[in-house]
Amino acid sequence: MAKEKKRKQPASDSAPPQGDEGEGRRERKGKKAKKDKAEAILPSQIKNKDKRSELHAKLKREKKAEKRKLARERSQAIRRAEELGEQPPERQVPRTIENTREPDETVCRPDDQELFAGNDADEFNDVLKQHIIPKVLITTCRFNSGRGPAFIEELMQVIPNSHYVKRGTYELKKIVEYAKNRDFTSLIVVHTNRREPDALLIIGLPDGPTAHFKLSKLVLRKDIKNHGNPTSHKPELVLNNFTTRLGHRVGRMIQSLFPQDPNFRGRRVVTFHNQRDYIFFRHHRYIFETKESKVASKDKKAKTSESKSQPEKQVICRLQECGPRFTLKLLTLQHGTFDTKSGEYEWVHKPDMDTSRRRFFL
Amino acid sequence: MPRTTVLESPGCPPLRALTTDILGLVKVVEARTNPAGAAKVVETWGEPDASRAIVAASLADRAADPVLAMARKNGVVELLNPLNGDALAAVKTVGPASDDGSAEGDPLVALHLFTRQASDSMLGTFIACTDKGKASIRSIMKENAASGSDAGPSTTWDVCSGGNVQFCSVDHGESYAMFGGKGIEVNLWDISSCSKTWSAKSPRANSLGIFTRPWFTAGTFLCKDDHRKIVACTNNHQVRLYDTSLQRRPAISVDFREAPIKAVAADPNGHNVYIGTGTGDLASFDMRTGKLLGCYIGKCSGSIRSIVRHPELPLIASCGLDSYLRIWDTNTRQLLSAVFLKQHLTTVVIDSHFSVEAPVETNSKQPEFLVEAEAEVRKEKKSKTIEEDEAEAEVQLEKKKKKKKESKTVEEDVAEVRKEKKKKSRTTEENEERHSDEMCTTKRRKSGERSKCMKKKSKKQHAA
Repeated sequence: MAKEKKRKQPASDSAPPQGDEGEGRRERKGKKAKKDKAEAILPSQIKNKDKRSELHAKLKREKKAEKRKLARERSQAIRRAEELGEQPPERQVPRTIENTREPDETVCRPDDQELFAGNDADEFNDVLKQHIIPKVLITTCRFNSGRGPAFIEELMQVIPNSHYVKRGTYELKKIVEYAKNRDFTSLIVVHTNRREPDALLIIGLPDGPTAHFKLSKLVLRKDIKNHGNPTSHKPELVLNNFTTRLGHRVGRMIQSLFPQDPNFRGRRVVTFHNQRDYIFFRHHRYIFETKESKVASKDKKAKTSESKSQPEKQVICRLQECGPRFTLKLLTLQHGTFDTKSGEYEWVHKPDMDTSRRRFFL
Repeated sequence: MPRTTVLESPGCPPLRALTTDILGLVKVVEARTNPAGAAKVVETWGEPDASRAIVAASLADRAADPVLAMARKNGVVELLNPLNGDALAAVKTVGPASDDGSAEGDPLVALHLFTRQASDSMLGTFIACTDKGKASIRSIMKENAASGSDAGPSTTWDVCSGGNVQFCSVDHGESYAMFGGKGIEVNLWDISSCSKTWSAKSPRANSLGIFTRPWFTAGTFLCKDDHRKIVACTNNHQVRLYDTSLQRRPAISVDFREAPIKAVAADPNGHNVYIGTGTGDLASFDMRTGKLLGCYIGKCSGSIRSIVRHPELPLIASCGLDSYLRIWDTNTRQLLSAVFLKQHLTTVVIDSHFSVEAPVETNSKQPEFLVEAEAEVRKEKKSKTIEEDEAEAEVQLEKKKKKKKESKTVEEDVAEVRKEKKKKSRTTEENEERHSDEMCTTKRRKSGERSKCMKKKSKKQHAA
């Protein structure tokens, strides 16, 4: 690399003097002048494409080298600290859109007594306190075909105690009444468009809210490589990152779909992970294994000397994905059951909210 | 760098608003001139209890002895002192009909507390209406307020035979009440005689011959001095103007967007109304022509349950299911302040006499005046270096005494200035906001100047 640099640098240096003699003179003075020049002339100021791309490539190379140097320095500092037995220097945290999120006053705090009082009063309290066993009715839009039926089949394996009812030509309000009379606690409607499921409606019963989600990135089980087949145990539930009051409410709503006493023997996990207002759904089986041979072989590759000193048995956790994989985005949250004509909305996504990339609502 | 948008709220003039929510809490929000701008929750009254959710509230907005009435979900109407939150009275049942435990099946939906007082012994008179249309007027005497068993004279009548009442509105003179709801046309009742004086007629079937069932969600009287003009809003997103002296069908009917209209408030100028919808759109209409004046834009995402107009300042406050109390300027239609109140809110009321009375505010200001005065005194001292130490000490002692007196006088002055300003602001409504801003600054300046003058005088006296 060093040789290449040396070779290329003179070439790039020799290029500009053709245009201007004064600059060429300055270059001979030393490195400082060079740096000044590099700052002074931007690639965009050069009109000749060859020269411009040359300068651009050079700048890029320098930047890359600089970056590599810094990384090396950091790793050396860590190693040095390790040798001396000191505290390693703090790791730098990359700045992402999420951790530079706009401050939100609606974020739930654990010391908020009103929040808990509100939780006790809300519609899901009975289910979450295990007074009622959740019972879910799944239905579709009127014309269900394509991947819709397959998706519903898998959804029924994910959610215990769920029942599929053919939509027929009934109005949704009628179906809500029907489900209320039969003591269902939730109603899920899978909406398909052009033979593709594209929306999910979750209605809390008897008077719970109605959430309308956009459904995208649906991958069915058979399309997942090395997928597993779920058992009929009650799954564990993981809800990640539902921070604001709205998110809290949506999280509780999702929680109320599942029974609150998971069979840990089943080793089944259902995950709803919220990231930037998109809720990612995953369904896994996990297993804890004690594997000696694999651990040893891995360590051999890295450090042959250390592997012998380490204990041979090590517990590792393996994941196997099963069931569908999809992404939800909340569009509206309606107060009360499904009613488009006279419904009151608790939250509606409006385009004038999207003025910042760093504002999230869940 | 992360680009964050900061909502630049210009801040609102001194204001006091009370909100009620579904957990039965009453929250007091105040905006002050010092520190200027943002409104904050000052006090929370009540224990969170969902069974005692407040469904409606009404404030008798008087300078002396104001009363806040709240209708709870369990059928209790409570009277509060809105200044300190003391419970004044609680009436268990609404009417004799709901004595036999029917409060659950027939909850209260609307409440209005009368502003005018019949006599000093009366705590308050309110009109309450249940879902099934049982309206009752009750007055509570001061003597038996605590017991709440028998609460003075009461009258009860049925507004309708079927359907659900959704709103009740009383005109400014408080002699007429209006009811409406799902399946009920707008009714106008004479309160003194409890007789129906007028009822609306639904508009003609449309070109397809389709006839819509009446479903009124909100209504108000348009003018202060005229009970004949009524604005009623329907569930199928219509704003209607009825003129009771003219005809039974609406004079003007305007559509607004797609969502049902849930709240309406009239402007004191007699022709504007503010409406809020189920999807959180807030707009103002000119009811003389039925034209949309404009929408209030500001990330409001939940259904609006209540709108209230400040009687003097050009402000409206709105609240609803997004659990924000928002305060808007009616002239510029800008959001002045938004307060997050954690629960689904049901009603908001504005205490318009806040800046006049407000003993709390003057207390908080007092130390500042003192500090300012001291600073000025120090400056003066620097200029007069001739004074001897002993004399100075004496001066200081006396000054301290005087200061105490002055601070009291300053308070009085402030109050006076405010009253004067209030009168002025009443006369000139147009540039009120600017005025109010000036109010805040000039008040202080004036008081500061006055105190300066006083100090000089005192010094002169001492020198003499």
